[in-house]
Amino acid sequence: MRTASRGLPLLVAALAIAYPWLVPNYYLVYAGALTVMYAAMATSWNLLGGFTGYVSLGHSAFFGLGAYGTGLLVTRLDVPWAVALPVSALLVTVFAVGVGVAAVRVRGASFVIVSIALVSMMNLVVQGWRSLTGGSTGLQVPSPFPGLHRGQTHMVFFYLFLVLLGLALLSWWYVSRSRFGAGLRAIREDEDKAESLGVPTGAYKVAAFALSALFVALAGGLYALWFGSLDPIFMFSILIGSYMVLMSLLGGVRHVYGPLLGALIVAPAGEYFLIALGETQVHLAATGVLLILVVLFMPEGILSRLTRGRGGPSIPEESAGQRLEGAAR
Amino acid sequence: MSLLLQGVALGVLTGGLYALLASGLSLYFGVMRVVMVAHPAFLFLAAYLTYTVHTALGVDPFLALPVTVPVFFALGVAVQRLLVARLAPENVAMMSVLLTFGLALTIEGLLGTFYTGSYKSVSMEYATRSLTIGGVHLPYDKIIAFAVAALTLAVLFAVLVRSRFGQALRATIQHREAARLVGVQTERVAGYGFGVGLATAAVGGTVLALITPFFPASHWVWIGKLMAIIVVGGLGSVAGAALAAVLLGVVEGVVLVTVDATWATMMFYVFLFLTLLARPQGFFGGRLAHRF
Amino acid sequence: MTSLRTEGLTKSFGGVPAVHGATVELRDGQVNGLIGPNGSGKTTFFNLITGMIRPDSGRVLYRERDITRHAPHRIAHAGIGRTFQLCRVFPRLTVLENMLVAVRRTRLRELLAGLHDEGEAERARRWLHRMGIEHLEHAEARDLSYGQQKLLELAAVLMAEPDLVLLDEPAGGVNPALIDRIVTLVRELNAEGRTFLVVEHNMDMVMGMCDHVIVFDRGAPIAAGPPSAIRDDPRVLEAYLGV
Repeated sequence: MRTASRGLPLLVAALAIAYPWLVPNYYLVYAGALTVMYAAMATSWNLLGGFTGYVSLGHSAFFGLGAYGTGLLVTRLDVPWAVALPVSALLVTVFAVGVGVAAVRVRGASFVIVSIALVSMMNLVVQGWRSLTGGSTGLQVPSPFPGLHRGQTHMVFFYLFLVLLGLALLSWWYVSRSRFGAGLRAIREDEDKAESLGVPTGAYKVAAFALSALFVALAGGLYALWFGSLDPIFMFSILIGSYMVLMSLLGGVRHVYGPLLGALIVAPAGEYFLIALGETQVHLAATGVLLILVVLFMPEGILSRLTRGRGGPSIPEESAGQRLEGAAR
Repeated sequence: MSLLLQGVALGVLTGGLYALLASGLSLYFGVMRVVMVAHPAFLFLAAYLTYTVHTALGVDPFLALPVTVPVFFALGVAVQRLLVARLAPENVAMMSVLLTFGLALTIEGLLGTFYTGSYKSVSMEYATRSLTIGGVHLPYDKIIAFAVAALTLAVLFAVLVRSRFGQALRATIQHREAARLVGVQTERVAGYGFGVGLATAAVGGTVLALITPFFPASHWVWIGKLMAIIVVGGLGSVAGAALAAVLLGVVEGVVLVTVDATWATMMFYVFLFLTLLARPQGFFGGRLAHRF
Repeated sequence: MTSLRTEGLTKSFGGVPAVHGATVELRDGQVNGLIGPNGSGKTTFFNLITGMIRPDSGRVLYRERDITRHAPHRIAHAGIGRTFQLCRVFPRLTVLENMLVAVRRTRLRELLAGLHDEGEAERARRWLHRMGIEHLEHAEARDLSYGQQKLLELAAVLMAEPDLVLLDEPAGGVNPALIDRIVTLVRELNAEGRTFLVVEHNMDMVMGMCDHVIVFDRGAPIAAGPPSAIRDDPRVLEAYLGV
């Protein structure tokens, strides 16, 4: 078990790095890049959702803003893409702090509602502000690598998203072993109690919210550079936000690799449906049904099932101790 | 000035529909502590069914109600019994949002599959005319919408206040355990509460079909609007929701005639975030908001 | 020196006063008991002091500093810790993690320091050892017995090194052996200089442990004094027996 928990991630990482060279065609590189993008986004989502239990269905707002920010900096101000990407993400993070101050004042279901409102609002702004964003006709972003053909571009972005995923996983791991992380988890368990122990819950939540938004915004920026064509309906779609939630829940929000696992299942399934059924609305219904099933039957996610199934000695102290030891190594 | 009056009048008329829908949401929240994100999706389902009845049979859209209302009542009972009641008791508030969110996605996907993503509308001959009072034009369809919404709300309140079922329902809302102790079958009552909630969505859907064109994804805008109303009014306060509905309806109407549609919708979110900053528990009672 | 002073503290819920003009003074270094019939406002009084709810009027002063309407975490930073009536720990966190939640100051470096920062972990282990639950360090809190959870809750509060500790029914739902242990602990901690305010229904415990007892009835103190005087006070009997 212990060797598995250390060896498996290394094996998966090696496989991921080799992936573009192992697959027979560029379509699969593209699908891989998309999957890694969703994995990175779900992992960032989990920085908020997994630690604090605040479920945001509106994280596509940060995806869209990151994308539009990068796209606008590149097209309107001629900023080089490598500068535009982090600048846009930082601006979105600052924005997320502002939104977070208002949003985390409400808990539970009310917070979910606010997050839905956020994405609807951003959609309205970007669609309405035609002169800047091109409105519903969209925004064209020039490719950062004009010398490469389409397949090679997919490959470059595959690795860029992989780096982002690595950063997001590393942040999760780093936070999870800090006192800040303990405070965030305490908020999930019992917010008032945490506050009474001196945890500045408001500031913690805003920090987690902003950190989570940062990586999603970076994913959005990369997406803008990759696809080169932004349209508000897709960028701010509630569907992208719900993918992040679905992937995280399916894999297991309490685990660092939970959202990644969820993404590895949901994103290829989505691509498969797209090929099998064409551009229909069925995938929306399928996502919905899958979400219902996960919520009803597996709210703790696959990884919780697996770890409990395997490590299930009847003496809880021991299994908990082993788990912690495993995490510490 | 007359422009402003026009906006206020339109706002009040639309506010009636908002109030009806918001009261449905308050009902679910009351009986099950569930924030029913799929309420507007069911609303649009009803609108599409109305559209089908109207186009296939060529009858007045309101004739769809004898079909949609009982069907939606049964659907509501089924949703509560088969889905909501099965959620693990810890963390019901959060999981129910995700559950009903999944329902909303499913409904939207199915509507998109069957009806395509393009706009549909039901236009009746009487809907195109309007009543003019003192320079203010009141379209008949909006008047009818308001009247139907108000009537439904009145019936809903009468049921809640007068009937035995209403008493059981209110008892369940106020104190579930106590209600069970005095012999109320709270599970059954909760199911019926959901049924009644969805039945109001059926009525709302027909009204909606009459006054505005619709497409499958437009229910998200309505979630945003309704949730803004509920947060401003104070989650769990029916009267607060009704007041906030009319208030925001008027604000929307005024901005609609003076600025444009984007800003009119935006006002809901502006009010939502201002409320959160100034008074997270809402402006009209409802101490529960930030807990759920 | 005065530890805590409240002046005319008042809070109503829906027009019904829960705490009504409560003026109370606690001296430093004492174990204070807070007793009174059910519904007399003791827990609400705790919540008002610790900022969990905001008073309608009145003031709370801690060491002569006005802390009325401060956020709960700032009141905790000022040096007031509390336990809850129905013991509250973080069920899905391990015992050690439960201990490391408490924050005395918000310093970025401290917050980003690892959970396995040995200095803090050692301090946590010392407290756990003192409670006699150090062997459970890696267990999830939900797997502990109720009594163990009570000890953990107290240990986690003490991690923040509070000078004033509010205990809400420490003896509620625990066995007599553990009650004795808690009494001893409170006595020891008091001897080390901590001030206590204890809400408790177990009169033997209150009378045996406290230096000073305050009696609440209908949201305000009706009597205060050493246990021996309180025991014989007719007003206290009246409040409890309703004669």
